[in-house]
Amino acid sequence: MRHFSLVIFSLCPFLCFAQVGQKNDTIKPESLDEVIVTGQLNPQSVSKSVVEVKVISRSDIDRQAGNTLADVLNTTLNLNITPNTATGKSGVSLFGLDSQYFKVLIDNIPIINEEGVGNNTDLSLINLDDIERIEIVEGAMGVQYGANAVSGIINIITKKSSRNDWDITAYVQEETVGDEYEWFDKGRHIQSLKVGHNFSENFYANATYTRNDFGGFYDNKQGENYALNDGLRGHEWLPKLQQNTKVVFAYEKEKFNIFYRFDYLNERIEKYNETVSLNENPSTGTTNPSALDELYTNNRFYHHLNSTGTFFERVGYNISVSYQEQTKDLERYTYRIKTRQKENIEEGEYQQRSAFFSRGTFSNSINSEKANLQIGYEITNEKGSGSSLAIVLNPDSDEVTQKLNNYDFFAASEIQVTERFSLRPGFRASFSNLFNTQYTGSLSALQQLSNDWELRAILGSANRTPNYNELYTYFVDVNHDVQGNPDLKPENGVSAFFHIKKKSTLANNTIRLKNKLSFNYLGLNDRIELIVVNQSPLSFQYNNIDRFTALGVFSENEVFYKNFKAQLGGSVQGVSKVLDSQTQSNDDFLFNVQLNSNLAYSLPDWNTTFSVFFKHIGTQQQFVEKTNAEGEQEFVQGETAAYSWMDATIHKSFFDGAFTTTLGCRNLFDVTEVNTTAFEGGTHNGPPTQVPLGYGRSYFLKLTYNLTL
Amino acid sequence: MKKFKTYQTAIFLLLVGLVTISCSDDDTSETLSDPFVVAFENLSANLNDIDDSQEINLVFSETTSEGGTMTLLLESTNAVYGEDFTTNPISEETTITLPLSQGSNNTNFTFTKLNTSLDETVEIKFSIISVDYPNSQIQGNTTFTLNSSASLGRGFEPNVGGPNQPNQVYIDLSTETQTEVRRDSWDLGFYGGNEFRVAINGSIYMAAAQLEETNIDAISEADVSDLQAQVAVGTFDPANEAYIDHPDGTITKTALEAVSAIEAENKVYLVNLGYEVGTENPAPGSVAVAGEARGWKKIRVLQQDNGYLLQYADLNDTSHNEVFIQKNTAYNFTFFSFDSNNTLSVEPEAENWDLNFTVFTNILEGAGSYGFSDGVLHNRKGGVSVYAVSTEDIAYDAFQLADVNPSSFELDQRAIGSTWRDVINDDKVLVDTIFYVIQDPNGNQYKLKFTALLNDSGERGYPEFKYNLLQ
Repeated sequence: MRHFSLVIFSLCPFLCFAQVGQKNDTIKPESLDEVIVTGQLNPQSVSKSVVEVKVISRSDIDRQAGNTLADVLNTTLNLNITPNTATGKSGVSLFGLDSQYFKVLIDNIPIINEEGVGNNTDLSLINLDDIERIEIVEGAMGVQYGANAVSGIINIITKKSSRNDWDITAYVQEETVGDEYEWFDKGRHIQSLKVGHNFSENFYANATYTRNDFGGFYDNKQGENYALNDGLRGHEWLPKLQQNTKVVFAYEKEKFNIFYRFDYLNERIEKYNETVSLNENPSTGTTNPSALDELYTNNRFYHHLNSTGTFFERVGYNISVSYQEQTKDLERYTYRIKTRQKENIEEGEYQQRSAFFSRGTFSNSINSEKANLQIGYEITNEKGSGSSLAIVLNPDSDEVTQKLNNYDFFAASEIQVTERFSLRPGFRASFSNLFNTQYTGSLSALQQLSNDWELRAILGSANRTPNYNELYTYFVDVNHDVQGNPDLKPENGVSAFFHIKKKSTLANNTIRLKNKLSFNYLGLNDRIELIVVNQSPLSFQYNNIDRFTALGVFSENEVFYKNFKAQLGGSVQGVSKVLDSQTQSNDDFLFNVQLNSNLAYSLPDWNTTFSVFFKHIGTQQQFVEKTNAEGEQEFVQGETAAYSWMDATIHKSFFDGAFTTTLGCRNLFDVTEVNTTAFEGGTHNGPPTQVPLGYGRSYFLKLTYNLTL
Repeated sequence: MKKFKTYQTAIFLLLVGLVTISCSDDDTSETLSDPFVVAFENLSANLNDIDDSQEINLVFSETTSEGGTMTLLLESTNAVYGEDFTTNPISEETTITLPLSQGSNNTNFTFTKLNTSLDETVEIKFSIISVDYPNSQIQGNTTFTLNSSASLGRGFEPNVGGPNQPNQVYIDLSTETQTEVRRDSWDLGFYGGNEFRVAINGSIYMAAAQLEETNIDAISEADVSDLQAQVAVGTFDPANEAYIDHPDGTITKTALEAVSAIEAENKVYLVNLGYEVGTENPAPGSVAVAGEARGWKKIRVLQQDNGYLLQYADLNDTSHNEVFIQKNTAYNFTFFSFDSNNTLSVEPEAENWDLNFTVFTNILEGAGSYGFSDGVLHNRKGGVSVYAVSTEDIAYDAFQLADVNPSSFELDQRAIGSTWRDVINDDKVLVDTIFYVIQDPNGNQYKLKFTALLNDSGERGYPEFKYNLLQ
């Protein structure tokens, strides 16, 4: 903390020199012609989009000083960030479904990770320094984005042009982790440099380097060199260091655009075992403590070549070709704590994915004002492997490898039935080497009424492909028989959304309102669960058996008044699980309430914006099996306690925007963990365990230097 | 405006500077320094075990970075230096000086018996009285005693053999001996005590079920095929407890009924021969104890001439082998192998072992039989008893003879069992907070604490323990 005060102190001269009233840094009201691309046949405005798309703008990200996707999504309605302190990864949960059902795309194509292509994404690995905006769509998007886009998608749009000749941006961002901060070993330290240049009228390039050093969250733990075996060695949250280099080259002409984007990420996660072997020498009565530590290294390469344009004067095309790979390596070693030496070092691949991906769409191919037809293909040649350290395998095999080739064809049409009513049917067929041909369909409708009312109805579907654990687990010994099932088929998901939107103004146009009320349904069939396939001898296998339903209603509202902008949302979501895998179960709906609010107030004369980001997640219930007083197993409601996130920031620019500083506090309510009884096993009134959620109230300061020529 | 430009440049340089220095690492804390300790490797040796001479080892807590010396005090009772015994290097007055050479982990001296008939009143004791080496401290095994009594204790590394745990290791604490036997070398044990009982080998997860038939030749696979899925360990069916010897070690609770003197009362048994020792190389921390299934036999046991008549055959055979096995009262069991069709030596004599490191078949409450690795079973039938003490109540080092509570001793041979380790989670850990009090067949009482479950690379099957005689 001492150092941190120093940083703030060193900022003071800036504040004193701050010059008043140079450039209006107000909150720009979201302009009506904000253009989006996600789920569209052609880029178009939010209000004309048949699909309901939420946008997080660059300025929203800047106000929150978000460095990775995990930093900016935790106050988004319906979406919950789920950190895993054992692996250092941050997943997402939407409508009660985890990261496997949610797809993350960059410029319309899925981004790879060691466990998936698009899904299973670790949000903390998606750096935001070169991005323009984030588009979020809730609901199944299988027709547009293929397998695993069940609960929704995020599409990250990167920056590929600039109005300036040169843009140079450098920033440092210093954050405390809870109340932990030191120059190097504790806290979070981010440095970034971005250079963009227009080589000619048509040719633009930029390069970004970001280093994000997270010192881990110690809480009561004592770090790497602690030599006692009392469970205090290591960290509560694993320290990690990320380095990300990105380059984009873009060429734009009237009817022909092409860009190439390259992204290299290197991440190192340090996992220091809390168990210390004292290695007592019974003769001398001395110890030589050691621990079995693990270092995980992630290397991700991403190449994306994209071309858009028109041919035959009217057929628009958009073709992407991409090769991506991510390898997670594991180094295991014995660490001699007293001498700080590594012994018995073993290095090997932990998990790996690589994929060749191509997606092409062709639109306007029929000659009509009233209708637009888009046809497309998607090819994914995916190769993955998991070592026996990542997946429980037959001890005979060191790793499992899988090749999944998908060849998909899809078509979508937008039919302008009347001037105010449009329909969007869509269909995709997916041929693969591992699964039967999968068909997905969608149908959306937009009705624009007078007085700025908009009605949208969106039906979508998508599948989730089985993961490696479900397919390949092999844990068979004298006492156990748990097996994966290579014959699993994908889970089927269907979603239906109905949105009512109204824009209005009050008090002589000084107050502008946007209100939205939405109803959602999401159903999953053939859900994969581990079930008992034989009672004696007891054996388990993964099978397509269960059903899942989420039903809910949510509302998102925005108010603009002078320099004040408020966003207010609320959501009630119910989840029902039909567990045919269990001998007893309960498929009652369990409801969860969420509230969120983002407030921003700007002082144009001071180039300053004050922001508050808030989200409340109500008590979450789940049916779990517990032992009752009579010693019998029964299904009861387990509960995870309610909690709230709140971040507050001040964003200020100086010298005509040459410098910007963002000062803020994350996690104002100081949440670290919440109690839960929603876990299987134990007794009915047994003690709760804790779900780690955050690392407490943290402070940050970001100093940015912008040079434009 | 020019002022701002300068300012901008300065700040930009500052930012660049911050980026650059952030790439280094700070390392503020320093390496811990511990005292240098020289100690006797063991606490004692038995004079009767020394034929002529023996090296007595001293070990260092760390490799020496320079040379030094140490001095031992020699005290003898009913024995005279130079007449009854001598040492090399020799003793000057009553002390022995030993060099500590640079770059070494240990040193030793030689004790030589000159008089071959030293009686049990003789005691020769060496004590470390000074160590000339930087930052040295005298602690641990500071004395070494030669006499004719039970061992005073030592550290021990039973050769269980790694993650396949191929060996059963029998430990005798008072004589510091270990006896290794391959787990899958034997099938049946014929009890040497009063009862006529036959044990099956729980360390390879054997199981046995009584059939209605008394004619062994009349049984074929078709008669037992329904039963075979049940007669196994780890089926998670509580009823399968009937097919194993009760893990508490009570001789009257074996899977096979008592062998009756009335021939017609002895039924045929279906026997699952369990598994060979595993050969797979599991992930560090895991075990692979069970290998290929060893198949099935049918057996029938009769009484004959204060011994046993064993009839056995493969399931579909229409004739059978017969072997007579004599009771041997010096041992708990006489062991027999179907592989060699013969008896073989497995356990030491009943009075000559205390603990057995072995894989074993246990019972999980409500789930039936369950295979356990890392088991430590005490010699219940030989008269050993054990109880566990929590270090929260008293520290291992503080525990004295006076702290022994005779009413706490347990007969159940699983009193140690698997309580000394926790392998439920991914991290396989030694339970640091427990030690044991053991009473051997001769009435010696020891305290014993486990010091390792894994080796340095984190592999299972490398247990270590230390023990001390309570006196």
